[in-house]
Amino acid sequence: MSTVVWMHEDAVNGTLLGRGPAVFVFDEDYLRREGYTLKRVGFLYECLLELPVEIRKGEAVEQILAFAAEHDADEVVMQASPNPWIRGVGAALERVLKVRRMVPEPFVELGGQPDLKRFSRYWARVESRLPIG
Amino acid sequence: MAEKVGTRLGPSTLLQPALPRGSGPAAMKREFRDRAELENYLRASFAYLASDPDGLSPIRGGRDSALKALAAVEPGRYERTRNHLDGAVSRLSMYIRHGVLTLPEAMRAALTKVRRPREAYKFVQELAWRDYWQRLYEHLGAGVWEDREESKTGIRAEELNADLPEEVLEGRSGLACMDAFVGELRATGYLHNHARMWFAAWVVHWLRVRWQAGARFYLEHLLDGDPASNNLSWQWVASTFSHKPYYFNRENLERYTSGRFCRNCARRNDCPFEGSYETLAERLFGPETVR
Repeated sequence: MSTVVWMHEDAVNGTLLGRGPAVFVFDEDYLRREGYTLKRVGFLYECLLELPVEIRKGEAVEQILAFAAEHDADEVVMQASPNPWIRGVGAALERVLKVRRMVPEPFVELGGQPDLKRFSRYWARVESRLPIG
Repeated sequence: MAEKVGTRLGPSTLLQPALPRGSGPAAMKREFRDRAELENYLRASFAYLASDPDGLSPIRGGRDSALKALAAVEPGRYERTRNHLDGAVSRLSMYIRHGVLTLPEAMRAALTKVRRPREAYKFVQELAWRDYWQRLYEHLGAGVWEDREESKTGIRAEELNADLPEEVLEGRSGLACMDAFVGELRATGYLHNHARMWFAAWVVHWLRVRWQAGARFYLEHLLDGDPASNNLSWQWVASTFSHKPYYFNRENLERYTSGRFCRNCARRNDCPFEGSYETLAERLFGPETVR
């Protein structure tokens, strides 16, 4: 058995491509619900055309599962995301396949979560850890 | 559980071999003669896009375009001029939004362009805003659509309009500045940050429309539209995620646009933004408001 990559809209890059064949799904229900205009869909599409990824349309979970089955995969690798819809798709996939969520290189390394009440509090914690002194 | 992965990304050309051809009814095309063919294909593929009144953005997607934009970044000029509509802004946001470029990558690139790291301070701080919004998104999820705090304007949400007026969505308000911003947003999917703020303040404080309607409008059109950055910025303007509302006056808008809109505006003698901040605050929020 093997691994496939689910590329979603928060991670249109080559980072995970070495791990297996990749698929991106344009889920029309999601696009319509979010109100993505032609500009937005076209921009995403052009980003995808530079990457070796199969572009599909349809219901996301269904298409990713079909893609995994076509490649005899029992594992899906994806980039972790705070987007509730992406998380929901990941959770649905997990009912059938093993799902590995990869965290991209952080902007700044912090031990623990900073105070996020206001940007100023976050910045007070972060500034000295960035190479801009 | 999530695992970490390195994200030093090469040029997209390194990834060109072995493009999948696609198969089955769900697979979409990868070869297009030109952008017109791509546009027609997308209109035909997604029923709801068939009647989209706007076309593709002149801003191209892809890592090649992202790297060109990154190469053009001037952190020093960015710091000095970014608030002006003609300032040296980076236009990286749409690539960062979709992970085509990463924040660490943009920061490293900026630092190679300055003699002293401090010269990239403001640019890096703006990248930090994106990190901040994403960290908040982790916590809030769909909660980014709800007021984070009570409004400081003294105006209750129930008193606000739920929708944006048609003439605003179509750029027919009669205000040259706002109509130009809508025109640019709809034609390009991009708007300078200062213009975003002016428009948002007008919508929320002058037109008294709920911030969610404006946020939705931006997310439909902005190539860099992200629910966290976008909605929490609207809330910052509305004062449901800040300690006072953001508003502006004509003098401020004229200064950062070199007066280009006001010169020929049909309402130049009847401008709703004319006046001191004190006068406008009283007109918009009443005498007891937090300033």
